[in-house]
Amino acid sequence: MSARPALSSPSARYAGKELTMATTQLTDSTEAFARHADIGRLRLTDIVKEFGQGQQTVRAVDELVLDIEPGEFITLLGPSGCGKTTTLRMIAGFEEPTSGHIFLDDDDIVVEPPNKRPMAMVFQSYALFPHLSVRENVAYGLTLRKMSGAALKEEVDLALTSMNLLGLADRAPNQLSGGQQQRVALARAMVMKPKVLLFDEPLSNLDAKLRVQMRLEIRRLQKRLGITSVYVTHDQTEAMSMSDRIVVMNAGRIEQAATPDEIYRHPASVFVADFIGRANFLDAEAVSVTPRADGHATARVRVLGRDVEVPAHPACVAGAGVTLLVRPESMRLAPVEVASPGDDVLGDHGRVLSVVFYGESVEYEVESEYGTVVVVVPDPSTESILAEGDAVSLSFNSERAWLLPA
Amino acid sequence: MTATLTPATVPAAAPAAPTTRTKTKRDIPTVVVIVLVSVALLLLIGLPLGKILVTAVSAEGLEVAQAMFTSPVNRKIVVNTVILGTLVGAIGTAIGFAMAYAQARMKFRGKKLLHLIALLPIVSPPFAVATAVITLFGRSGLITNKVFGLETNIYGLTGLTIVLALSFFPVAYMNLLGMLRSLDPALDEAASGMGANKWQIFRTVTLPMLVPGFGGAFLLLFVEAIADLANPLVIGGDFTVLSSRAYIAITGEYDVASGSAYSVFLLVPALLVFLVQRYWSSRRSIVSVTGKPSGRVREIEGWARVPLMVVVFGIAALIVTIYATVIIGGFVQILGVNNTFTLDNYRYVVQGIGSDAMIDTTVLALLATPIAAILGMLVAWLVVRKLKRGRGLMDFAGMLGLAVPGTVVGIGYALAFNRPLVVGNVQLLPAFAGGAAVFGGAVAIVMVYVIRSMPSAQRSGVAALQQIDPAIDEASASLGATGVTTFRRVTLPLIRPALLSGLTYAFARSMTTLSPIIFITTPQTKIMTSQILSEVDSGRFGNAFAYCTILIVIVMTVIGLLNLAARGRTPVPVAASGA
Repeated sequence: MSARPALSSPSARYAGKELTMATTQLTDSTEAFARHADIGRLRLTDIVKEFGQGQQTVRAVDELVLDIEPGEFITLLGPSGCGKTTTLRMIAGFEEPTSGHIFLDDDDIVVEPPNKRPMAMVFQSYALFPHLSVRENVAYGLTLRKMSGAALKEEVDLALTSMNLLGLADRAPNQLSGGQQQRVALARAMVMKPKVLLFDEPLSNLDAKLRVQMRLEIRRLQKRLGITSVYVTHDQTEAMSMSDRIVVMNAGRIEQAATPDEIYRHPASVFVADFIGRANFLDAEAVSVTPRADGHATARVRVLGRDVEVPAHPACVAGAGVTLLVRPESMRLAPVEVASPGDDVLGDHGRVLSVVFYGESVEYEVESEYGTVVVVVPDPSTESILAEGDAVSLSFNSERAWLLPA
Repeated sequence: MTATLTPATVPAAAPAAPTTRTKTKRDIPTVVVIVLVSVALLLLIGLPLGKILVTAVSAEGLEVAQAMFTSPVNRKIVVNTVILGTLVGAIGTAIGFAMAYAQARMKFRGKKLLHLIALLPIVSPPFAVATAVITLFGRSGLITNKVFGLETNIYGLTGLTIVLALSFFPVAYMNLLGMLRSLDPALDEAASGMGANKWQIFRTVTLPMLVPGFGGAFLLLFVEAIADLANPLVIGGDFTVLSSRAYIAITGEYDVASGSAYSVFLLVPALLVFLVQRYWSSRRSIVSVTGKPSGRVREIEGWARVPLMVVVFGIAALIVTIYATVIIGGFVQILGVNNTFTLDNYRYVVQGIGSDAMIDTTVLALLATPIAAILGMLVAWLVVRKLKRGRGLMDFAGMLGLAVPGTVVGIGYALAFNRPLVVGNVQLLPAFAGGAAVFGGAVAIVMVYVIRSMPSAQRSGVAALQQIDPAIDEASASLGATGVTTFRRVTLPLIRPALLSGLTYAFARSMTTLSPIIFITTPQTKIMTSQILSEVDSGRFGNAFAYCTILIVIVMTVIGLLNLAARGRTPVPVAASGA
């Protein structure tokens, strides 16, 4: 454990401000935890995890390969049972991979027990020690490193201050609200100056408003500290709003690992397209596929009897089965008389099945000969909202569409 | 930041058989604990049981076992044992349920007191009830003869059943009370919302939900009853059961092989019941699925409670009378015959061999108690948290000390530790039991105390640990703690209340246990319970009563001190500063 580097001098850790800010506001004291940018490279190679024995063996994680850059915020996202939590627990050392290696800065740590790994985890249930006060909880890991006295107090105060917890230091965990408990858990992990921070659905026990707030708080903190972070969630909004990269998992395998923007706009598979955001899949026919310099392709597709040019996944092949992804907000819809110019019209008409008013948008389900299509119209004026049963024409913004192998 | 997709180049055979299996380094201190605990369990229960089984399947042992089915005398003993177990199981469960239902669902004054009275038999020595019942209801009994002028014969099945049911019903009481309290009152409310009256609710909702509880309590009492040795010796008369037969075989006939064979016949049903119980509790019972109780129990008031109240207070009065008899009996010449006040009994006990016995027993029990509690907690911790494979085995091995009848444990200890343990030509251990043993045989007695009382510590430890979120352990590990550090700094403080109740129970059990001890006591090491037996045997009831009273006082004092010591240190900080 002595191998863990001390990353900043004590003088740099001075946190002088009196804290009166709202809970969302992190103070400059977090700067004190900032670290060099080249520590915390995490490499997972050919990780396999099987549960059970003999006939009943279940592969929870299947030949997983993942490189995580120092300071990167990675989110493992997927439906329950996709292996994301198992992967996180293998990184932490709570589960033993059946085979494969985990490298941290070129050291193979896969054989190390969790207490020897320079990582700290934040748990869904917070996992605060109920018999210890807030201060004692945060100090716990440092006392295990035989730190005591003034040095210990300084470190702990710093962590408490940076999470706005100084006033609660002597309380028992059960006297805190959920959000406060989660901040204690964060402070307890942060004070260890780990090379990697691990988050196991840390926000799922909080109410919706607090969740949004903590999301920003965690991300801001992580950016300041520059600690490599692996975050597990099944909440795609959480993943989209926090991550440098999202790793979408399905059935123990990585479907796609890319920036939130890439994942949303250029999903690698129908699964990803369907899992992230909402999607309309339109039957299409690829007439031609031309590779592009940026790694994507451009395809001419016949959709509803018309030829349209759309961005395409490079694996699309002319003549083979393809499907066209159009997000609901890229769909256009107009009363039959007025077709909006400039858009590539789908062609046929539809009929409004349902109308839901969300305030910032209206969502329509439109029955058409291509199945039920979902259309979201942002910032609607009251007069423009259509009624159930109205006849409409459907079109979409072809630049925002994405062609996928079916 | 390239998207790292699962490589498509994986050879097709790879998924079936990964080439290199990853093996994580074990946490060394935890491994040490696993090994130590395993060795301890092997020594404390594995070796004695093994010896008994080996002796029982020896030629002479098998002969006795065969005779068990052919000889009418032996067959009668087996039948007697089953009858006794069934009666005690049924009556004890009924009493336990009556007390528990009144406690949980009825409104009356003196609830706390009734609760304490119901628990009284747990902390009392095994003869207190039997001796008092003989004095009260025997041929010249205070009540049967002096009040009603009857000439009853209390020795035999009747007396045994009464005594055992009264001694063991607290187990049923505690189990059923726990179940009744965890029943969701919303179920009652739902039933009454559909038009059911109180009696219908009781019949169609409460009773069916408690069926597993009844079954469990019955089985526990059955095993306790057939395993008991003290009472059959005192009040059994010529109604011989397996345990008393085994005792006579070993101490009277010096026939170790047949003693072992008899005790194996005790062991089989005991283990069977134990396994059935484990199977039951491993499946989620209906009661536990209902989740957090909501709503409020509507306690029964008015005339409806009269019948049950009569029963419950009748039993309570009986228990109080019995213990009053024990206490008063110590201060008179011969209770019921010559009721003049005297301190002779106490003089005899305290100034004679009794004082040695008091000190020896208390010291040995005090030695054994923390060992039992710590060992039990460690086993619980390994079972719940640390072991993946072999957790069932370790849990089972730990609980054996309770599941195996005391008579069997005692005979096993006599067989295993009367001679030095020699493997090959190397003496691994000196003799622990018997007159020639080290420390006058005290080591074996402490070992018996430990293995007999450890399971209760283990059980409360397991229950407490299952309440604690595993993530708390993981959080500690992820902050750099080894498994043992986590146990010491997080787990132990959290399960301290359970540890305390484990300690108290362990101590009470050690002080009052007889059946395993009687086979390994030595002249050098005097144990109170076996002294009481010899006083009862020779008809000196006054001395026995004095002994019992002193024993109860010692147990109560130590339990009180333990509780005081625990209250001194409150675990959770309650300082709340305005933030």
